[in-house]
Amino acid sequence: MNLSQSLRGYLKPFTESVLAILIGVLVGAIVLWASGYDAIAAYKALVVGSVSSLTNFAQTLSQSTPLILTALTFAVGSRTGLFNIGAEGTVYFGAIAAVGISQAIPNPLSGIIAGILVGALWALPAALLKVYRGVHEVISTIMLNWIAFYLAVWLALSVFVSPSNANRTVAIPPSARLPLLMRNTTLSWGFVVAVLTAIVVYVIMWHTKLGYEMRANGYNPRAAEYGGINPKAAAIWSFVIGGMTAGLAGAVQVMGVPPSYAISQGLANVYGYGFDGIGVSLVGRDHPIGIIFSGILFGALGAGATKMQQAGVPLEMVKVIEGIIIVAVAIPGLLDLINRMFRRGRV
Amino acid sequence: MEERTPVLEMRDIVKVYSDGTRALNGVTIKVYKGEIFGLLGENGAGKTTLMKILFGMLKPTAGKIFFQGSEVHFKSPADAIARGIGMVHQHFTLVEVFTALENIILGKEGHGLFSKIDVKNAKKKLQTLMDELNFQVPLDVPVENLPVGIQQRIEILKMLYRNVDVLILDEPTAVLTPIEVKELFDVLRKLKAQGKTIIFISHKLNEVMEITDRVTVIRKGKVIGTVNTSDATPQLLARMMVGRDVVLRIQKKPHKPGKTVFRVEDLWVKGDRGEDAVRGLSFEVKAGEIFGIAGVEGNGQSELIEAIAGLRDVEKGRVYLMGKDITGKKPRELYDMGIAHIPEDRTHMGLILEMSVMENAILGMYWRREFSNGWRLIDWGKVEGHAKELIDEFEIVAPGTRRPVKSLSGGNQQKLIVAREVSKRPEFIIAAQPTRGVDVASTEYIRNYLVKLRDEDKAVLLVSADLDEVLQLSDRMAIMYEGQFMGVVKPDEVTEEQIGLMMGGVSQ
Repeated sequence: MNLSQSLRGYLKPFTESVLAILIGVLVGAIVLWASGYDAIAAYKALVVGSVSSLTNFAQTLSQSTPLILTALTFAVGSRTGLFNIGAEGTVYFGAIAAVGISQAIPNPLSGIIAGILVGALWALPAALLKVYRGVHEVISTIMLNWIAFYLAVWLALSVFVSPSNANRTVAIPPSARLPLLMRNTTLSWGFVVAVLTAIVVYVIMWHTKLGYEMRANGYNPRAAEYGGINPKAAAIWSFVIGGMTAGLAGAVQVMGVPPSYAISQGLANVYGYGFDGIGVSLVGRDHPIGIIFSGILFGALGAGATKMQQAGVPLEMVKVIEGIIIVAVAIPGLLDLINRMFRRGRV
Repeated sequence: MEERTPVLEMRDIVKVYSDGTRALNGVTIKVYKGEIFGLLGENGAGKTTLMKILFGMLKPTAGKIFFQGSEVHFKSPADAIARGIGMVHQHFTLVEVFTALENIILGKEGHGLFSKIDVKNAKKKLQTLMDELNFQVPLDVPVENLPVGIQQRIEILKMLYRNVDVLILDEPTAVLTPIEVKELFDVLRKLKAQGKTIIFISHKLNEVMEITDRVTVIRKGKVIGTVNTSDATPQLLARMMVGRDVVLRIQKKPHKPGKTVFRVEDLWVKGDRGEDAVRGLSFEVKAGEIFGIAGVEGNGQSELIEAIAGLRDVEKGRVYLMGKDITGKKPRELYDMGIAHIPEDRTHMGLILEMSVMENAILGMYWRREFSNGWRLIDWGKVEGHAKELIDEFEIVAPGTRRPVKSLSGGNQQKLIVAREVSKRPEFIIAAQPTRGVDVASTEYIRNYLVKLRDEDKAVLLVSADLDEVLQLSDRMAIMYEGQFMGVVKPDEVTEEQIGLMMGGVSQ
């Protein structure tokens, strides 16, 4: 294996992402300043809140956990020719599944397995619609997200509602929770699970026959079929694997985050991760390893946001900065421009 | 002749791509008004790059372009067209759902958002153009429903409608049937008579000999020489093009065929529109034999290949490999049973362009134990070794096994496919259009290899629109017409006239 050659292959997307992040930070500062806030103080608060101490950094990693997992859903789709935005709805069901199973079999493993299995199952409608009826996955997953939302709200409020508190579901029993990695933080073994999952997804995509089949089919279904690949099976698998990581995200989020260990009203503590994961995946260049890092970056923005709010800048400004970073990554023309500037500098 | 001023001159053009590839190394060409100028070279010689520079699609690294007496710098194709230079690309740039008329006037008529397009006037102008050239194009039919030959005429009309004086044609005959080629040449001669200048890019010796007035040969980004076509011979041009004498005839020793390897019985296959594309074919291919299928394209050859390669449903009939019924089996099973398939469309089927050379080197065999490690994962070290073996054995020019396969030239892509298919150690090889769009040296290599496989007692089914190829390689050949064989003959016992008749649907 030619190490320098493959390193060079990673260097370009890495540099591009870092540049996009810098642009996001810079433009974000201008927006902050233009809106009448002290940009420097705001960024200082962001950094302090996310990495200044071990406790704060633990908070960052905790926030990154579900994002890494939902980003993997999008990345698997994207690398196999799908625009799978169904992670959002799948997360709800993963969480519900973990709450449900933990009442019967109270140990962490059962919750994780239940989240993964339910995630895989919920991926099937979109997968089968795509493969057998030609329904585009953007349409089906958006609609399925809404079905999932209301179904999950109903399940949370009727089937699994807490007898003592009507605003949340029953809690995961202590023996089924993911142990914390650090006291007085919300960082649990869930983060380790997320990182391991990213590595497993990487291995599946680039080192297994299934990954080869899925990628080949994503680029060119006709050539894949010629190459002895079953295009239907390959497409279904990429939905299913994506569903598994999203379901896992939901499970880990309720099993690992104190204090409630339950789903709150309106699914508030499991809501939005599926969509945020798309941005994380884009910044991580749809690569599992890149996603670990971009997940941590977004986690840091989330963790620092609280501190920033204390400095008088509204929470929403963090979303603005996140948005600018994603746009910066997503504009290929801009990146080409930067590239050309670089090249001119080198020659 | 050299005293005349050229209408177009490209002087000392150098092009270095951003990855360091030197595509052109100081190329100078002169083109005179009213001539058909041939630009001859193998795939990857730099012909297309040179013309893209002329057409404003690429910026030269160094060099100057003079047109009608003054230096020009085209920033875009629109620039070049405005000055009177038009180009018809190898791959057409038509909007498929638009009619011919809409395609031709696209971007030319009606600029503002709400300005009215004068369709009537445009039609009249086009009709005059078509009458002058004596060729007709149905103006109101969506382009996707028209044959390739007609689509090409639409591309040419598109340029003429914009009043270009110089028309660049990039490998215009690659997609045409022999009859369409003849018709194209008639059009080109008429354009020449009207005083238009034509640049004809090709790697086909006979066509260059037939249609051009002068020809410049380029090789590896350099001009090898310019000759008047009337002074040239195909052998001379071939030598200039590849730097050595190409054996244009394949050396083939007599070989005794063995037992039947592949057999088709009363095969019926439907085409994409539900028509009967293959109508009751029966034939067999023996070990140590090349069985060729010739015929004008679109007579069911593609459907036949796809059906026996497991890519299309068989309506009726049976297919046997070494006595076993393989009707309806999927590609993976077929490969494991000893079939290899060189598909007719290398960019859409034979390769996955975005994937690396080594990933493509295991397409259709990636599941084999020899590419797995103890964990049953793909062992990329072994895959890379396999890719390198293919590259070495077939002398494939590749920038690296990890680079996308699209960075290879067409000829090298095709060699990679052939190498991969042969490495499956098949008993039966389907070779569909194995040398289409491939340079002379690679063509020779691939043809000789097919003969070698035959000499090793493999059964080879050759399907090609290139009649010479089928005649030279086959031990027995069939001519296909509207889904049936018009006759099965031995190439050395048949006259050109007989073949022509069969291709036209007259059974022998």
